[in-house]
Amino acid sequence: MKLSAPQSSNSPILQSSNSPTSYLTWRRFVAVNLLLATVLLVTIILASMIGSVHVDVWRALQAGIPNNTDRVILFETRLPRVLLAAIVGGALAAAGVALQGLMRNPLAEPHLIGVSGGAALGAVIAVIIGGRNTFTEASVLPLAAAAGALVSMAVIYRLSLVNGRLQPYVLLLSGVVYNAFAGALIMCVNAIADFYQAQGILFWLMGNLATQSYRLVATIGLYTLIGTGWLLLQTRQLNVLSLGEEGALQLGVDVDRTRRASFLGASFLVGAVVSVSGMIGFVGLIVPHVMRLILGADHRLLLPASLLAGATFLIWADTVARTALGVVEIPVGVVTALCGGPFFVYLLKREGRKVFG
Amino acid sequence: MPTLLLVTLHVFPLPCVAAEVQRIVSLAPSATETVFALGMGDKLVGVSVYCDYPPEAQRIDRVGNFLTPNIEAIVAKRPDVVIAVPSPGNQNPVEALQRLGLKVVVVEPNTIAEIEDSLVTIGRAIGREAQAHALVASIETRLAAIRARVAAAPPRKVLMVVGQTPLIAVGSGSFQDELIGMARGINLGAQAGGLWPHLSLEFVIAAAPEVIIDTTMGNEERTGAAAALQFWATFPTLPAVQQHRVYGYKEYQLLRPGPRLPEALESIAHFIQPERFENWRIGGFENPDRGARH
Amino acid sequence: MTPIEASGLHFSYGRAPVIDDVSLTLAPGEMLGVIGPNGSGKSTLMRLLSAVLRPSGGEIRVHGRPITSYSRRDLARAIAVVPQDTVIEFPFSVTEVVLMGRSPHLGGFAFEGDRDIDVARRAMQRTGVLELAERSIHELSGGERQRVILARALAQEADILLLDEPAAFLDIRHGVEIYDLLQTLQHEGRSILTVLHDLNLAALYCDRVALLKAGRLVRIGTPSEVITYAVLTEVYETEVYVDINDVTGAINVLPLSRVYRERLRR
Repeated sequence: MKLSAPQSSNSPILQSSNSPTSYLTWRRFVAVNLLLATVLLVTIILASMIGSVHVDVWRALQAGIPNNTDRVILFETRLPRVLLAAIVGGALAAAGVALQGLMRNPLAEPHLIGVSGGAALGAVIAVIIGGRNTFTEASVLPLAAAAGALVSMAVIYRLSLVNGRLQPYVLLLSGVVYNAFAGALIMCVNAIADFYQAQGILFWLMGNLATQSYRLVATIGLYTLIGTGWLLLQTRQLNVLSLGEEGALQLGVDVDRTRRASFLGASFLVGAVVSVSGMIGFVGLIVPHVMRLILGADHRLLLPASLLAGATFLIWADTVARTALGVVEIPVGVVTALCGGPFFVYLLKREGRKVFG
Repeated sequence: MPTLLLVTLHVFPLPCVAAEVQRIVSLAPSATETVFALGMGDKLVGVSVYCDYPPEAQRIDRVGNFLTPNIEAIVAKRPDVVIAVPSPGNQNPVEALQRLGLKVVVVEPNTIAEIEDSLVTIGRAIGREAQAHALVASIETRLAAIRARVAAAPPRKVLMVVGQTPLIAVGSGSFQDELIGMARGINLGAQAGGLWPHLSLEFVIAAAPEVIIDTTMGNEERTGAAAALQFWATFPTLPAVQQHRVYGYKEYQLLRPGPRLPEALESIAHFIQPERFENWRIGGFENPDRGARH
Repeated sequence: MTPIEASGLHFSYGRAPVIDDVSLTLAPGEMLGVIGPNGSGKSTLMRLLSAVLRPSGGEIRVHGRPITSYSRRDLARAIAVVPQDTVIEFPFSVTEVVLMGRSPHLGGFAFEGDRDIDVARRAMQRTGVLELAERSIHELSGGERQRVILARALAQEADILLLDEPAAFLDIRHGVEIYDLLQTLQHEGRSILTVLHDLNLAALYCDRVALLKAGRLVRIGTPSEVITYAVLTEVYETEVYVDINDVTGAINVLPLSRVYRERLRR
């Protein structure tokens, strides 16, 4: 449905230049998400077929063959990892959207709020206390990281309450300070820890996706769906929030409730995935930003679209990470940084040209 | 000891009649050496990128590095058994392999006793248990011979260093520490506590080691041995520096928790108690130049 | 039912009171102008009346009910606020911004329906921004943005309008257009309270004028009662020239430069 005078162009679903389309309709919402979901599905299939080892896909699809290593590799080693990459990428991107809306700042990033720092600290403490046991029991580190994430969530939440209301500036500062504090503690621990433990800590911090059990993948997937669904309910209010705190209040939005809910949802998402896969950066910053440029600023569409796009992005990044050097892997955080950095510079230049001519 | 418990927990029970193991994957250099020592080197189908001894091992396909073994590559090799040593990053892949139904044997060879146990464990897993026991016995014998050799030697204060900046020394609880003790050395690093302690320079100066074994000089020989030596030259008060008993350890790969323990002890003993080893060679081991003396 | 009734309002940020014992009413269908020197508390008063701030003393009634008995959404359906300026970080389109005015009428996660689109369209038409509908809000000038915000307020379909300097960034033509529009809305039944600096516009358009100084309500009445030489010179602490214009019949307030002030004294 068009609103403007007849001579203006049709509103495309995805438009070219930087002008956003008029407004979000139910149809556009479904169409865009369906398209992105299809792309994601294709990506999952393609990525499962790519790896450092050659796999005969046709053979892998046949169920009856005994000792079918192709089948084992495709379905038991690659697919869980691809799915995990999708979930982690999606969760980070969704959290990024929510935080950017909450902070009213397109440069906000999921790792800013300190939850990742807390998770890292939890993992580090586990490494030190647990000694070598942390490297023989696979579940110790994620649990410790999750505990660290929860604790940091509670602390930062409490710190950001001023007169009983969540203040974004204070939240930002609290997150930054908490990260710095956790980072310092981690460095300190790393310095006095023995060499073996220090290696372990560093490895965890680099961020990595591994083949996990389907059960774990499903659990994290469920958490991601819950978190995203929760955040989806805040998206319309997040739109109005961009008019400013006063403007939003005057339009009937419960600003404080929206902020708290967004923070809880985002930190829940971040805590869940960081516990399993360490700190993978740039996804939560770049993906929402790019999606906003393409689809417009309406958070109702931006959130699910970023979830799907983030999933796709991280799958490809992980595919590069596990195949680029043959048998040896690059940490996926390195790949996202290598992609993210230059891309971001390109974005800045483009925007700069637009603003400054 | 808790580590022994861990080892037994991870080993899958063998069927009563062990089928002949045909395909082995090893994820650690010490395990690779053990498999070769037990005569099953030709059954190795995949090793880590660090597995370089014996030389035949360098021709075997690589399946990943110490931190991240490549699961796909391992599965593609269809191994009958996978041997792993816990590392700071491989618990997920190891668990994944176990979930996939592969037989994974995890050994933790930290002390000499654990090393010997791990040799037996690996032997049992690849169907060479008897040979493993024999290997252990042979190791014990040769270790005893060297110990006898230095039994009457004066104890010397030893510092064995694996990193210069930061200064990381061999601490207590490791087999390297035990070897130093066997060679009648007093491991100064053990006083600092921990497996791989970071030492302060003050500690080193106060401790006044008589012998310094520096493994970083071993691999920097090609690039900066002189610079590495410079490091120690800045401590003229150390007895080791004054008496020119700072050794660069070229063949630090000997220091693996595997079947070459006696060779490792011998090389260390040569550094610590050189007077005992003039004109003496351990059986079957010929290389006289184990590291330049400075 | 009196749209707004404020009695005995007190408010302070710290120790010094910003609003001190202010009572006023907004009658149905009237345009009430709030004027006063800088720092007299005009914007704070707006915030109190729109429930952004809570008074430390006194009471506000909207349509007869205490303002505290309204949920935020219900209040947004009764009162629409046009702030002085709005900075929007994200590149929303003009239509999207205007549609935000429909927020009080929508549920949690909802899409705007046909009626919402219709209301928004008419609002944009009235404020003259319909042809900007698909542009990004970032591309607009200050004045155009202001008109978009006004359209958003209109889209709320509230019958009380609170405005803070609506003509601040507008040139003479657009400023007058805005006030003409407000007057039309007033005749349609809306009650309007507007804070403004421009005393001439206040005199021209407002039915009544409330004069604040240092948080106190100094005078309230018709423009001819309040916008007089005596009152203004005292409250603004400067000499001004107040006159009835021969052509329009409207009150004219003119500032006097120092040269003229000297002359007047002699």
